[in-house]
Amino acid sequence: MSEMVKQNKIEGILAEFPDPAALISAAEKMRDAGYKKFDCHSPFPIHGMDKAMGLKRSPLGWIVGSAALFGTSAALGLQWWTSTVDYRLVISGKPFFSFQAYVPVTFALGVLLSAFAALIAMLVLNGLPRLHHPIFYSDRFAKSSDDGFFISIEGDDPKFDIEKTKAFLESIGGTNSEILKET
Amino acid sequence: MSKGITDSGIIPGGEAPLIEKNPTFGSITEEISRITERKTPGVWYLALGAAVSLMFVLFGSIGYLVFEGVGIWGLNNPVGWGWAIINFVWWVGIGHAGTLISAILFLLRQRWRTSINRFAEAMTLFAVSCALIFPAIHVGRIWVVYWMFPVPNQMSMWPNFRSPLLWDVFAVSTYFTASLLFWYTGLIPDLATFRDRAKTKIRKIVFGFLSLGWRGGNRQWKHYELAYLILAGISTPLVLSVHSVVSTDFAISILPGWHTTIFPPYFVAGAIFSGFAMVVTLTIIARKLFHLEHIITVSHLEKMNKIMLLTGMMVGYAYSMEFFIAWYSGNIYEQFVFINRAFGQYAWAYWIMISCNVLIPQMFWFKKLRRSIPVMFIASILINVGMWFERFVIVVTSLAQDFLPSSWDYYSPTIWDISTFVGSFGLFFTLFLLFIRFLPMISMSEVKGVLPQADPHHAGGDRHE
Amino acid sequence: MEKKDKKYWLSLDHLHDTKGYRRNLRDRYHEENGETGGDFTRRSFLGIMGASLALAGLAGCRRPVEKIVPYVIMPEEVIPGVPQYYATTMSLGTSAYGIIVESHEGRPTKIEGNPKHPSTLGSANIFLEAAILGLYDPDRSKKVKHNGAESAYNDFISFWREQELKFAANKGEGLAVISESFSSPTLMRLRNDFLKKYSNASWVCYEPISDENNHKAVGQLTGRPLQPVYHYDKADVVLSLDADFLLTENENIRAARGFAEKRKPDDNKTDMNRLYTAESAFSVTGSMADHRLRISSADIGRLAFAIADAVRKRGLNIPGVFETDISDFNKEWIEALADDLNGAKGRSLIIAGSRQPIRVHQIAMILNEVLGNIGQTVTYHNANDAIAPDMEALKSTIAKMKSGAISTLIILGGNPVYNAPADLDFASALSKCENSVHYSDYLDETSKLTGWHIPRAHFLESWSDARALDGTLSVIQPMIEPLYGSPSDTELYALLASGRNQRGYDIVRETWQNVLKGGEFEKKWRKVLHDGLLADSALPNEIIKLNVAAIESPKSEKELSNDNLELNFYSSKLYDGRFANNGWLQELPDPINKLTWGNAALLSPKTATELAVANGEIVNIEAGSAKLEIPVWISPGQADYTVAVALGYGRGGIGAVADGVGANAYLLSNSNNPSFYRGVRLTKTGAVMNMAGTQDHGSMHGRPIVREATLNEYRSNPEFAEEMVEHPPLKSIYPEHDYSQGYQWGMVIDLNACIGCGACTIACQSENNIPIVGKLQVSKGREMHWIRNDRYYVGDENDPKIVHMPVACQQCENAPCESVCPVAATVHDKEGLNNMTYTRCIGTRYCSNNCPYKVRRFNFFNYTGKYAETIRMAQNPDVTVRSRGVMEKCTFCTQRLNRAKIKARQEGRTVRDGEIQTACEQACPTRAIRFGNINDPDSIVTAMKKIDRNYALLGEFNVRPRNSYLAKIRNPNPKLGKTEDKETG
Repeated sequence: MSEMVKQNKIEGILAEFPDPAALISAAEKMRDAGYKKFDCHSPFPIHGMDKAMGLKRSPLGWIVGSAALFGTSAALGLQWWTSTVDYRLVISGKPFFSFQAYVPVTFALGVLLSAFAALIAMLVLNGLPRLHHPIFYSDRFAKSSDDGFFISIEGDDPKFDIEKTKAFLESIGGTNSEILKET
Repeated sequence: MSKGITDSGIIPGGEAPLIEKNPTFGSITEEISRITERKTPGVWYLALGAAVSLMFVLFGSIGYLVFEGVGIWGLNNPVGWGWAIINFVWWVGIGHAGTLISAILFLLRQRWRTSINRFAEAMTLFAVSCALIFPAIHVGRIWVVYWMFPVPNQMSMWPNFRSPLLWDVFAVSTYFTASLLFWYTGLIPDLATFRDRAKTKIRKIVFGFLSLGWRGGNRQWKHYELAYLILAGISTPLVLSVHSVVSTDFAISILPGWHTTIFPPYFVAGAIFSGFAMVVTLTIIARKLFHLEHIITVSHLEKMNKIMLLTGMMVGYAYSMEFFIAWYSGNIYEQFVFINRAFGQYAWAYWIMISCNVLIPQMFWFKKLRRSIPVMFIASILINVGMWFERFVIVVTSLAQDFLPSSWDYYSPTIWDISTFVGSFGLFFTLFLLFIRFLPMISMSEVKGVLPQADPHHAGGDRHE
Repeated sequence: MEKKDKKYWLSLDHLHDTKGYRRNLRDRYHEENGETGGDFTRRSFLGIMGASLALAGLAGCRRPVEKIVPYVIMPEEVIPGVPQYYATTMSLGTSAYGIIVESHEGRPTKIEGNPKHPSTLGSANIFLEAAILGLYDPDRSKKVKHNGAESAYNDFISFWREQELKFAANKGEGLAVISESFSSPTLMRLRNDFLKKYSNASWVCYEPISDENNHKAVGQLTGRPLQPVYHYDKADVVLSLDADFLLTENENIRAARGFAEKRKPDDNKTDMNRLYTAESAFSVTGSMADHRLRISSADIGRLAFAIADAVRKRGLNIPGVFETDISDFNKEWIEALADDLNGAKGRSLIIAGSRQPIRVHQIAMILNEVLGNIGQTVTYHNANDAIAPDMEALKSTIAKMKSGAISTLIILGGNPVYNAPADLDFASALSKCENSVHYSDYLDETSKLTGWHIPRAHFLESWSDARALDGTLSVIQPMIEPLYGSPSDTELYALLASGRNQRGYDIVRETWQNVLKGGEFEKKWRKVLHDGLLADSALPNEIIKLNVAAIESPKSEKELSNDNLELNFYSSKLYDGRFANNGWLQELPDPINKLTWGNAALLSPKTATELAVANGEIVNIEAGSAKLEIPVWISPGQADYTVAVALGYGRGGIGAVADGVGANAYLLSNSNNPSFYRGVRLTKTGAVMNMAGTQDHGSMHGRPIVREATLNEYRSNPEFAEEMVEHPPLKSIYPEHDYSQGYQWGMVIDLNACIGCGACTIACQSENNIPIVGKLQVSKGREMHWIRNDRYYVGDENDPKIVHMPVACQQCENAPCESVCPVAATVHDKEGLNNMTYTRCIGTRYCSNNCPYKVRRFNFFNYTGKYAETIRMAQNPDVTVRSRGVMEKCTFCTQRLNRAKIKARQEGRTVRDGEIQTACEQACPTRAIRFGNINDPDSIVTAMKKIDRNYALLGEFNVRPRNSYLAKIRNPNPKLGKTEDKETG
């Protein structure tokens, strides 16, 4: 999208809705009307919105899971290698690989890596950080982080058509809808 | 949203409202943001000045310590650990409430947590920062303390992964990092709110960057919510593990009074106990100062008092169980240590601990006291005094009089022990004051989420159906 | 060695000895010295330690220029890094102790006993071990002083030449010498020359701690000047009348060894000896007693007669009158003792302490005679070459001084201004002498008042010779050139006797020309130097005949009470005070009361309660007009209404270590009864002092720590020691580590032999460069000793028994300290040693917390950083000097292990049993400590671990210590059994 900014291209349309309920039902109608590249903005996550918009489940779980697996095995590997291969020391007459004692560090490293994975993967999946986005052309949009509820549809959605789409948005309860373009 | 105002604010299920005075989404945003946007109150400067000067007491004491050696503390031959380790365990314990509230209560769908979790998490981070100082400075050769980390070197000298102290290093630093990430994740939407409300250029830039361009679109909320859930999921065992690991510093050793299997659960309970006490102490001040009584309501505090009552009794149970096992084991060294704790040279510390940790919380059986701000304020402070003495009793009594009477001795702190501890409060409050001044101390997006009108099936919102 | 000018230099400046270098040193010296006095703290101590950089640096490490002969290796074969061992002798009073000195590149670092010498038998005591620090003491006097101003030895020589002219005329009229007692052919020869030349001059000998009464008693009964030698290895029944023969009497090393030899309970054939003691203050000997009678020192005379009476009633002929009132004594005790003595004719031994009056010594002698012990357990030898102290002579000399009859007084050693009996007022007498000379180690109380002060060479810097009590001759050879160029005893004596300034070497050889007769002098001389003694030079037993005139028994004195206390002086770990500036000895805990850095007024719990005083409370001891402020220390086992005070403390202006430590008991001393007297009162001052004791808790709290039984119990139940622990040994969840191969080092400590003397502690301190930390740090519980001596009281609080237990690192196989160290700074090696890697240690102190024995020591400050150059010279180069912030502990003298293993490997063999001795083992006078390879079935240590008494301290925790202990056995008289058989509590 952003590469087209320079020709003042039309980036999409933004419409406001009164409350969560309205937003949900509007989303359902958008979905049924076959729109793909639209999004519903709200100051807080709204229950059932994924279904309303017909979104798939997030893959985040798999990513974090593999990170955890890597963290734990790396930790255990480090402890095994240092104490049995690289430098063997007799400590309190215990075996070189006394795994019972290695559990806490193993666990801690697993958690550490998954925590990083969770945040970073979430940002990547959301295309963040991205400080500039066409939707910020709208001044009203500031309300979306306060008490405003919006639906935005992007210019390169196959069904996108300025007039029709704008009319459709208003027909499903959207108010003061505006066209997003660089001003 | 104007409709909301007319509503009773009663959530389906008929509980008392989580948030009072039927606020709107907007009013929530307004009230919480205003705190950081309006002109800095003079009292804040005073408080910060005091905190910073205390913090310099800390740095001064550390400086002298590095220069002279740990001999400036009251340590001696049998008692190799003193206030430094006590303070470490105490601060870490306090640092348990935050993540517990935000993680465990989140998984348990305890919606009331939303008013206090941000606040508690911040408190956790600052407490753990204070805690981390002590293990670092209590060693004899501070300049090589990094040897505790597995730093590759040509001599293949690796740390000893069997040592509980090493487990501490990993557990506590992991805990700190994970809590920080969790906290920041929660902050992103609110930072976006600040960004959108920003009037000054600096705020625009700073919060613009910090919020990473958050747009609050559901495609983002989808990943965000799952990430938050996962963080909560991994933080939960982490919270429980951290103080368990800390307790192994003692439980793994062979000293009578330390070598005990009940330590991990007992320490975790104690940590939650002291953590909640600290949260109550601080929230009472904050909600008064910033007029947030209707967002952080008395019933929030009451719920925390209930948790204190519960954990306090778990701790009390541990105290008595230690005695029972000492008697039942028939181990003369164990038996001596516990008799000695209650009646020996440190009996005074022991009875302070008992009265603060076991007797005081019993007040919370009574609803009236449980809901009385002054009572809970004093109680919460006393509980943390008691918890400090619990660590004192554990660390010092077992060391001072262990197996061979010939090496028994008495431990008493020096001025430097005290100044270092007092100074750590300086650091804690400095960080805290900066937090409440510049960041949303209550999670706006989450509070909005629990407002009645946030529910799409709510009476006010179904006009399109 | 051959090169006369052989010097070691510190820097190029030093080598060329530039002005800048000297000035630099002098400045350092003076500014450092500015910092003396004041309350003793670690900082000021270390600060002042810096002082001696001055000449010490210049002196460097210099070999003596004459030919001295190394003990093991010929000097031609000096290998840098490999120490050499030389034999020499340390004399203390009339005793001579043969020693071996370890020397690194000409720098003596460690003193050990000479196995060939009868007085040390390869062991040592605290004084021998600590003498090495005395050599390097930065506070030693370095300059000749004349009327307070710096002078030179040559000036003194010319002064003496004038005196000679004067006294040549009048044969020494008005000339007097006060010397220490000595036993030395050369010194005696020179003294005789002196007296021949100056027949009118007087030469008296004074020692505050002396055998005078013993010698007088022998003289009166035999008419001959004989020296008794006791043979504890032959005595089955020993009665000590106030004699601490195991620690403070003459020949204590030999005594302790003999006593321990006779005290082996394991072999059912030979009987274990039985020791009875009667004493007022608890002594080391009393702590080993099977029956200890707590009795005031003055009553011991009457007790002795009561015992003699009881013996006589058993049909033995003892002349003399015996109307002694003994109603106040424990009759049962005396009767049982008399039976024992009577039953062990020729195998018993009665000794009276040097503190006791002549009469008691005579009774002891008579008892030995009638019991047929003389010639068996006690022999008498001619005391050739020995000069014994004489109080009467001192009195008359002082009288002459006061009358102005003495124009020139020469004080050779000693320190009479400080330690002569207060009533003689030596100081004022001294001021009456026109000329006075003091020859001493320190610029001490006496030197400050004499016209001349001559610094004394340390015996490790001197040529001389000595004769042991049994007559054995040995030569004292220097290990190093005098650090401060001071004259040696022989050189000064020679100057006085002949006026010639000879070299000690020539003087001694001159004497020995008559000793080593029959040609081949050089060969014999070399042999003597090599062995450290002249073989078979011990003098034969003299057959003696006692002519016993009737000796009437003492009358019982006024009964003791709160305001009629008995004051007792006893010799301390500082001896008579001459070792007061020795930090090792100051910081060594007293064997009984465990006090360091100071003395105290010891009271029994009962007396303390009645006087309402507590530990540390400062009281005034009032004896007539004399007063002494001193803190109280409650000492269980002390006789009621007696006060015991250690001598040698309360020094001023002699050194950074000694100054201001303790109270000077000599201020109360009295020439008529120098060791104890009655009629003393205690008054409170209200002040309290912080006492630096190393052991606060004296009870074992019913724990099986020191395991003890009577001989009969042991015989009936040999495994009693193991059985004293109920719960079965814990099992590890891990497979145990395999230590079955190669050397596996282990140690056994026989608690039945350990007398708690502390020689092991000092030996370890010397061998392992262990710092001293000063009173403040000790009082905080931060002493650094690697091997400590635990003392536990057993039984009744007022009349307890004492058990001693040396505790060093137990070298656990499953060492609890190791697994908790986060950086693996303490780990095991394949020989089963628990090693401490100082360079890796970050100082978490977790290991120390988790050590059940609390034997690890932590460097809370930088204790070693500011050492003076001389103190650095005393360090063992084979042992790392630890810095601030690291943990340290016993290493089983790993440097000795490695030296022996390297040697063995070079010779293509394995290390032999006994080839390696740890420092503590080597020093132990009773051989209580044994070290060796527990994998070697034939080693002594293995054999000892097989003994039934063997047990592991806290072994029930499966830490598998390599150290183990042999339980203590007492051998009480069955007749007294019922009352005294109290089990270890």
